Amino acid sequence: MDMLTLRHVKKRFGEKQVLRDVTFSVPEHTIFGFVGQNGAGKTTTMKMILGLLEPEGGEIKVCGETVHYGTARTNRLIGYLPDVPEFYSYMTPSEYLRFCGEIAGMSGKEAKSRAKELLELVGLAEETRKIRGFSRGMKQRLGIAQALFHRPGLLICDEPTSALDPVGRKEILDILMAVKEETTVLFSTHILADVERICDEVAFLHRGEIVLRGTMEEVRKIHGDTGYEIETEYSADAERLRRYLRGRGTEDGRCRAKENEIETEYQKEAEQLQIYLKESGAESGRHKTTGSKAEGVSPGQKASPSEIISCPDKITAEEALAYILEHRIPLRRFEKREAALESLFMEVVGK
Amino acid sequence: MRSFLAFLKKEWMELLRTGRLLIFVLIFVLFGIMNPAIAKITPWLMETMADSLESSGLSVSAVTVDAMTSWTQFYKNIPMALVIFVLLWSGSFTQEYQKGTLIAVVTKGFARWKIVLAKTCMMLLSWTICYWLCFGITYSYNAYFWDNRIAQEPVFAAACYWVFGLWIIGFVVLFSTLASANIAVLLGTGGAMLAFYLLGFLPGPREFLPTKLMQSAELLTAYAKPEQYFGAMAAAAGMLVGCLAVAVLAFQKKKL
Repeated sequence: MDMLTLRHVKKRFGEKQVLRDVTFSVPEHTIFGFVGQNGAGKTTTMKMILGLLEPEGGEIKVCGETVHYGTARTNRLIGYLPDVPEFYSYMTPSEYLRFCGEIAGMSGKEAKSRAKELLELVGLAEETRKIRGFSRGMKQRLGIAQALFHRPGLLICDEPTSALDPVGRKEILDILMAVKEETTVLFSTHILADVERICDEVAFLHRGEIVLRGTMEEVRKIHGDTGYEIETEYSADAERLRRYLRGRGTEDGRCRAKENEIETEYQKEAEQLQIYLKESGAESGRHKTTGSKAEGVSPGQKASPSEIISCPDKITAEEALAYILEHRIPLRRFEKREAALESLFMEVVGK
Repeated sequence: MRSFLAFLKKEWMELLRTGRLLIFVLIFVLFGIMNPAIAKITPWLMETMADSLESSGLSVSAVTVDAMTSWTQFYKNIPMALVIFVLLWSGSFTQEYQKGTLIAVVTKGFARWKIVLAKTCMMLLSWTICYWLCFGITYSYNAYFWDNRIAQEPVFAAACYWVFGLWIIGFVVLFSTLASANIAVLLGTGGAMLAFYLLGFLPGPREFLPTKLMQSAELLTAYAKPEQYFGAMAAAAGMLVGCLAVAVLAFQKKKL
């Protein structure tokens, strides 16, 4: 069942069309990463889900109920953590959480016991100070507690880790992982490492549209830069292997060095450099072609004979390994390469 | 009802812990004491200033003060207390918009109209308590030093100004839901006040304008009868309800 569905949602602020056509759905009990650059419209989308902004077109449903601007009854099903959560600073965390429970219709007793439970979950059970003395990380944790207070079916977190130090980030991500069993999480961010760490599904928002969405596995597969990396013991074997791959019509003409001693864009340049190194007395040249700059090499520098070959997805691991076994090529490493979300993101936003 | 009371409790806690309630009580108590105190020290003041006044050609005869002098001070000072009251309440909504604290409340499914109603209740309640506290202090001192019977209808006259305060609160709430900055709330309330004041120069609607309630001091001297104020009081109550209704509607669509 989908906890949240957006269909063809549009929004304009004055002349600026912030959202052109946003369509996606969030299945129950998933952590859904909502990724986009700063200003892409993530917060706008979330505020429309909460009925805090009026969409220009399209439809938003939470648990099958349509969201109406202003009087969003669907908010009883939602917990919301804003990017910078603000509280009544004159209250203690326990008082604030009890207030949250009572305005959601809980009895005083029920609110008190739920406040205790959640303060323990977010590690603030011992805090008796007023909220005005809290650090940003503490406020963020209290923000999650207030958002979860009425046991919402959908938890919306707007960039919860953006302004936190690594310890604070880890704490928040751990809490989100922990609450996955009891709720569905929609989590907006531009920190891709956080998405890779906790999300089950992801959607990329760019220029007001969802340009890519799916499970983490599906999204990684879409990205072209997958396949294998083979590191040979000797450079000559790498050359043999490369010829085999080229013969299969799949080798992309790129090769990688283990270390950043040489980086070139094209194979031809790498070979020219190799010749140059040999002439200068080097035993072998190492080259890496996925980068774009040559650095740190001086004539006469002794280089390692090992070499890394990029092997695209079109050749199966079995085929490549069969060739390697048949020709008894000594290997240092044979590794499945996974597309980093960051490079995928850069590709999506055209940078 | 439970959720409404929870929000009301939060408003009370805010009033208490931010020190706003203390300021209100201090101001209104101070004004309450000041009215008879000024009346009491007037003869002594005139006496000490007699010499300097005489040298400038003014002769000072014996000054007699009574409860009416103190009530006159009351009606001179209470507008100042009302202005301070409005100033301190003008940020009640707008500060929450600026900080974003209402977002957590609304996103828990708490009805927006309850926010308007709870804040209004707290404003009306604090005005009522502070105003009658001030009145009570002045009344008690007047009774102690002089005799309140010299003033006709002191309670009804005070009630007129109390209703005038309630009417002003209606505008504070209305402009708080329309505007986002407290300066706009103050300008809106002040502007509405001025508009009704200017309307009072026209002979027709004059009797039914809430601004007439500002002149309720004339009830003390029997120049006016209470019946002459019923129309203005009813108009003020009607406009208060109207302001609140518009405020609730405006707040439903307010961008928080």
